[in-house]
Amino acid sequence: MEACWQCGHPQHESLFCQFCNSLQRPTPDYYRFLGLERKLSLDSKDLQNRFYNLSRLLHPDRYLRRTPKERQYSLEATAILNDAYRVLRDHVLRAEYVLKEEGFNIGEQRSENVPPELLEEVFELNLALEELRGGDSSARPQLCEAYARFVAMQDEADNRLSELFRRYDTTGDREALAEVRGVLNRRKYIRNLVSEVEKELAASAA
Amino acid sequence: MAYSNKVLDHYNNPRNVGSLDKSDPNVGTGMVGAPECGDVMKLQLKVDPKSGIIEDAKFKTFGCGSAIASSSLATEWIKGKTVDEALQIKNTDIVNELSLPPVKIHCSVLAEDAIKAAISDYKKKAGMNRQPVSEAVS
Repeated sequence: MEACWQCGHPQHESLFCQFCNSLQRPTPDYYRFLGLERKLSLDSKDLQNRFYNLSRLLHPDRYLRRTPKERQYSLEATAILNDAYRVLRDHVLRAEYVLKEEGFNIGEQRSENVPPELLEEVFELNLALEELRGGDSSARPQLCEAYARFVAMQDEADNRLSELFRRYDTTGDREALAEVRGVLNRRKYIRNLVSEVEKELAASAA
Repeated sequence: MAYSNKVLDHYNNPRNVGSLDKSDPNVGTGMVGAPECGDVMKLQLKVDPKSGIIEDAKFKTFGCGSAIASSSLATEWIKGKTVDEALQIKNTDIVNELSLPPVKIHCSVLAEDAIKAAISDYKKKAGMNRQPVSEAVS
């Protein structure tokens, strides 16, 4: 357990010393920083309240006449707070963050992590999209149809994620995390297809 | 980010785009993907069973310019090589030839994986053909 740099009292994972109220060195862990348990499902309203509240408490303007150490900590804390809020409010970034914290490699994955059926499916979808793209304006209804289908697939992936989030939060099961990673990969491919069609629809409307 | 001239050349005039008959016993198919960028790459090769030389190669890649160039170059390189020679191609060779920047190295890795996957698919098919069906089943 760390001691307060100012008064020496032992600290309990708090941003401020419970005794002298001075700002402590901020933890880089997004969940601990916000005083949250590491859960995949988060209440977005609660998260927003915590963000606003801490933004006020940590704002560097409040520390202009404090010690240099606290001025430095408030800058660091504000940077962490902004990153933490940006990541944790987005269910995909949040899940990637938890996977990384739990030791899953999410950056450089090679093909062995991707099921071949998914690659086949994505390949076929891309082929179909390419054909529509080459077509004239008569292909527009089909593009809209493809768009609706991809968005529905993305929603499906999101629903699956919510289920897995709940399972992980109640059981702490690492299998659920591994499945989360699989669904995130799938979602990434679908997300790409969605934005490809969006681009195409915007271009054909112009 | 600026692409090198070689990447642009392969991107604008990709070599060997297309597909080969997947059911042909002499054709190996490799399908690989990089989830972090959403790329998917299919590389196929046709081997002359007598000489073991890759007589044709085709690819189709959905992804960035570097991924397309890497797979285009890969098909160019493996044609005329034996299967074993093709397995010697390293992603670093592709990086050097195309002057890929560090953030695009994974595209070359994907191309190397695609070659390996296609060859392993071919070998699997060839191996199954050599074995009598009755033995393979038991």
